Amino acid sequence: MFVWICRGVVLLLLLSSSAPAAPKPLSSPTSESLPPDQLSQAIKTDSVTIPTPGELFAALSKPAKPDWASRYRGPIAMNYRSRTQIALNLGGLIADGCIAVEAQDSQQVKNIGGDIVKMAKALGVSENILARGNSINQFAEDNEWSALQEEMEAAQNEVKSSMQSHRDQDLVILVSLGGWIRGTQVVSSVIVKNYDEKLAQVLRQPELLRFIHAKVGQISPEMQNDPLVKSVDRQLVGIEKIVATPFGKALSLEEVTKLNEAVNQVMQEIQKKEP
Amino acid sequence: MMRRSSILCATLLCLFALLRAPVFAETDQEVAARQVALELAGAFSNDGFKLRDGHWAGTLAPNESRLIAVNLYAGNQYWFSAGATEKAKQVGIEVFDETGAPLAVEKYNAGVKAAAGLSVTKSGEYFVRVRLDEGDTAGVCFVYSYK
Repeated sequence: MFVWICRGVVLLLLLSSSAPAAPKPLSSPTSESLPPDQLSQAIKTDSVTIPTPGELFAALSKPAKPDWASRYRGPIAMNYRSRTQIALNLGGLIADGCIAVEAQDSQQVKNIGGDIVKMAKALGVSENILARGNSINQFAEDNEWSALQEEMEAAQNEVKSSMQSHRDQDLVILVSLGGWIRGTQVVSSVIVKNYDEKLAQVLRQPELLRFIHAKVGQISPEMQNDPLVKSVDRQLVGIEKIVATPFGKALSLEEVTKLNEAVNQVMQEIQKKEP
Repeated sequence: MMRRSSILCATLLCLFALLRAPVFAETDQEVAARQVALELAGAFSNDGFKLRDGHWAGTLAPNESRLIAVNLYAGNQYWFSAGATEKAKQVGIEVFDETGAPLAVEKYNAGVKAAAGLSVTKSGEYFVRVRLDEGDTAGVCFVYSYK
């Protein structure tokens, strides 16, 4: 009897000391539905409401297992003159970094990390981005892919935070927008080639587009009159219509093709270097 | 050795991020709440969840709640974590879909920490409600992880 009690105590001690760090899930109670007026009052912020390109790629990665390395693009200019164009391209570069992380290509991650730092410095953002660049390199050397995905977003937030402290907050939404466009370009191109309704679900993002469009509408009039911003914003309205399928309904192959063509065109404008 | 230096590097960056003067200064309560939320969210990292760097932080009075909009992708799994300072006794977290319908979620509640997890099958906008159920007015922070 004593031996059994001792065994029980030892087992309990072992279980308590080796309990997993992750909390144990419990069953959930249900609440009442929220009325539209409450939904419209919800807090929406750039850092929480806009998903990262990495989140989009994660959704595609599991079912489609794309050849991410085949989605790389050629090098882009590093010396754009307009700050709005730099901000849009910086967002695109961060999405490129996430693609390289998905491809588990450490050299490409390091190359893109270097480009991100170069472009961020062109905007005059703080030196903190250098530390992020170093940590991206270190994680890439060590093949720490999960940490790298988080680090890419952290680098983006470092840039955005620095923009805000330099009273450049209008550029913040352009970084997010550039990342969304590049991410959608890659994902829609994968889905066009292997259309599947389940995959096409990931591209349905009407509220996200409405939020981004509304934020662009809040930036300074001078920046809104920038020809590139004007053109991108105009095209965003058309893109918003394509991705606005009813909740639960995936985009059709025709819609995904249209979307891919539309984002390809915007991306070309964004990365085009004026002579 | 390399792995250890990476972890050290990441830790220093996290500490740096927490300590540096924020642009939109958060109160000490909100910073402390963020630490609690990050501690809880860190547990999901062991299960392959990647933590978003963005967060929402604010102050809630008893029985007060905030609704936060997030855009989620079909095919991903998510954990939403909320943390509060010790003035709070109990926080709660619920998730609603784009139409405002409440969703069945995996739940974790432990006083000043609460989390809700779900697998998303329909892409779109979702709403996370963070509540202060019991205790005094406290700083509350919300973060989320995905995989």
